[in-house]
Amino acid sequence: MTALAGVALGACVAASILAAARWLRVAQREHYLAAGVVRFAWRWWTGSPLNLVIGLGALSGAAAATVAPGAAIATAALVGFGPVGLNLRGRTSRLSWTRRLSLVAAVTGVIEGAVVGLGALAGGWSGAAAAIAFSALAVPLLVAGALAALTPVENRLAQGYVRRASELLARARPLVVGITGSYGKTTTKNYVAYLLGGERSVVASPRSFNNRAGLTRTVIEHLTPGTDVLVAEMGAYGPGEIADLCSWLRPEVAVITSIGPAHLERFGSLDRTLEAKAEITSGARLAVLNVDDSRLAALADRLEGTLKVVRASGSDVSADVAVLGLDHGLELRVAGKASGVARLDPESPPPIRTNAACAAAVALELGITPEQVAGRLGSLPGVPNRLQPYRAAGGYRVLDDTFNSNPAGARHALEVLASLAPAGRRMLVTPGMVELGREQRAENAALGEAAAAVVTDFVLVGRTNRAALLEGCRRVAAPPSLKMVDRREEAVAWAQAELGPGDVVLFENDLPDHFP
Amino acid sequence: MSNKRGFSDRGAFGVAEREGRETGLPARVAVIYGGPSPEHDVSVLTGLQAVHALQRAPGVNGVRSLYWSKSGDWYEVPAATEAAGFLEGVPSSALRLKLISGPGGGFVRPGSGLRARESRLEIDAAVICCHGGPGEDGSLQGALDLTGLPYTGPTAAGAALGMDKLAFAALVVYAGLPALARVPLDDKSGEPPFAPPYILKPRFGGSSIGIEVVADFETARARLMANSHLRRGAVLEPYHEEMFDLQLAARSWPELQLSAIERPLRTRQGGEILGYQDKYVGSEGMTSAPRELPADIEPALAERIYELATEVASITGLRGVARIDFLSDGEDLFINEINTIPGSLSHYLWIDPRLPLATLLTDLLAEATARPAAVYSAAGSDGSVLRVAGSIASKLG
Repeated sequence: MTALAGVALGACVAASILAAARWLRVAQREHYLAAGVVRFAWRWWTGSPLNLVIGLGALSGAAAATVAPGAAIATAALVGFGPVGLNLRGRTSRLSWTRRLSLVAAVTGVIEGAVVGLGALAGGWSGAAAAIAFSALAVPLLVAGALAALTPVENRLAQGYVRRASELLARARPLVVGITGSYGKTTTKNYVAYLLGGERSVVASPRSFNNRAGLTRTVIEHLTPGTDVLVAEMGAYGPGEIADLCSWLRPEVAVITSIGPAHLERFGSLDRTLEAKAEITSGARLAVLNVDDSRLAALADRLEGTLKVVRASGSDVSADVAVLGLDHGLELRVAGKASGVARLDPESPPPIRTNAACAAAVALELGITPEQVAGRLGSLPGVPNRLQPYRAAGGYRVLDDTFNSNPAGARHALEVLASLAPAGRRMLVTPGMVELGREQRAENAALGEAAAAVVTDFVLVGRTNRAALLEGCRRVAAPPSLKMVDRREEAVAWAQAELGPGDVVLFENDLPDHFP
Repeated sequence: MSNKRGFSDRGAFGVAEREGRETGLPARVAVIYGGPSPEHDVSVLTGLQAVHALQRAPGVNGVRSLYWSKSGDWYEVPAATEAAGFLEGVPSSALRLKLISGPGGGFVRPGSGLRARESRLEIDAAVICCHGGPGEDGSLQGALDLTGLPYTGPTAAGAALGMDKLAFAALVVYAGLPALARVPLDDKSGEPPFAPPYILKPRFGGSSIGIEVVADFETARARLMANSHLRRGAVLEPYHEEMFDLQLAARSWPELQLSAIERPLRTRQGGEILGYQDKYVGSEGMTSAPRELPADIEPALAERIYELATEVASITGLRGVARIDFLSDGEDLFINEINTIPGSLSHYLWIDPRLPLATLLTDLLAEATARPAAVYSAAGSDGSVLRVAGSIASKLG
């Protein structure tokens, strides 16, 4: 009896370690948010019939272990392998052993030890076996508990970085341009840095660094003492986060690029998203708002009188700063007046006009002349993995828009796809869009429908949005040929086998592999 | 040896040479790169090339890779770190260092956690691979002089001269060598004594950032106010559409050697001397830039370039490897600029015979210890002044 219980205990410890490796990786990908880990555990264990069976089996094993400790071995075996599809080591996103992760792992271990100790006190060997079986299955919950317990510790550590960054900012005294919005932040940030680069010494937060950790790191590692302008991308997953960033970055110029359903499951509603993003304007001298977005147009009216407001638009001729589309070019309009034309390279995807208009408004406000701004609009830099075109070895063209996906961006990408290959096959490879809260199903169905009208081949990756995308596809009279794969690699192989010169494939979004 | 001797006789900027102090190659070396400069990224590439080459160089026993961050902090990174490791900022495996002045100073790893004592990095000489900013303007050189750590490349004074376009041009003209007109521009300047269009350049700095062609003096004045890259000073030169760049590298050890002559092929768009893209990237001297090497020019012109380069090496007190830039219309020749720590250390300009980067680096290191950049002397301060001052004080008291 005790020997069997010992084996069961050992097996469950091993299974817990394997499970911890999986769920710590999810925690790292989900910004160390306890709720994120729990949500993903639910998605994985209930997402496919196979995993549901494995999960229920593991649960039964743990329940049986209260009377027969040997049953815990079954739980250990199932938890060691499940959920199927969530790899131990990431494909897209490896686990990286940071200080923070080690601490979370240690606290998780302590919690599990305590649970097993309590089980042993209550029911001896079989109590311990049952307790460890339950906790092996509940590793995501234990990780979430550790994350919650460590939040105050992490906040304290982060405050140290904020203090150092604040000191460096006080010494260099750059003008800070803060950029937020649901979509288009990184693109607009790169545009601003590009438009200012020839005239000002500019530091922009690298890649998509946009939270407290990324921005303190930007200041501590990138802010050269002679910097004139710091362009800071500010992201938010909930109310109060932008205000927290502004409390030490103090942006003088505030830009809001768009309001959309990104991270809607954390915000709750688009109006709450707007209020969270609008936090960036308090304390600013100037607000640049994309008035093509109706919520931001209303915000512009509301803010009028409290600070200087510049309305930027990609279509409205009467906006304060407008970047309008021409045949093979762009026109800059300032205060309704034509202020210059930029020619575009027909081979590369055109810049996103609303983002260009916001960036132009910032540059003009910082003293760059309209002629200079207009001259540079034609060579705005693209962002890697955002609608970047290249030619594959097989002769077909690839549009890489895998960085992330949102309803507006996906529509833009489909337009570019349609314009690139009117003759050949047009393939779309996408796992759909995520983090859209209650809108996720409807938005993915809409994407499916829009795509079905444009593409000849539709490749659906993974299971997260499969049903919604198919639903949208079926609304179209003549749906494209469909292909379903579990991983992007299979889709790439499929494209290589199917496509040739004259064809084009759009890779829209790439979910990290911690998504089912 | 005669060539070396020639240097010290005509030498400028206090390159102190001590006979018989050739100590051979320093074995424990460090490569310094990065720094708070517009050319930080190019410098990282040069530095990583140097680390890589030195690891396989004979006589070198240990290469430390020392990274100077954009914000001015010092780090040691593993020698195997690749360029991609610097994309987001300081590589995650970097260890913090301090630079301490004074005898016994140098690069020090601060104590932390269990190891409370700070420890000094044992380094015999450092290869400076910094481009632009304080790594190439004499600041870093001066700081290292104060620590006593031998280093490669220009002395503090030589670096400062190379970074100051106005001082360099003035020296060239004073030595009777050909240069285009170059005048300082500030908010009180009058019109220059030459006709527009002009090239407007920052007075200090090695990159192409801030350089532009302007049609007239009014525009130049307006740009001076608007462009913060011109804040520390600006110079104005006549712009000659027909002129092109010619450049070569010169190195001072084991003896003065000149490389092949290169003609860089740059994009010219819309009246700007470099495309905005080039300017924004702000790079220079990359081994991959489009070029004609060797330049297809008349032998007489090439001969003249070699003569002038030898003169420039002499009047600037060349130490290490420098790139000297000329302007020409095919016949007339003008000395334009000197770049005292060029990208990739210009090793790719030696094509016949080729000069492996490792050889260039070990020669630079040999020079670093054999020709110290600075030797301080307190001769003359024998206390007599202090004694006089003391007696004055007693009388007044």
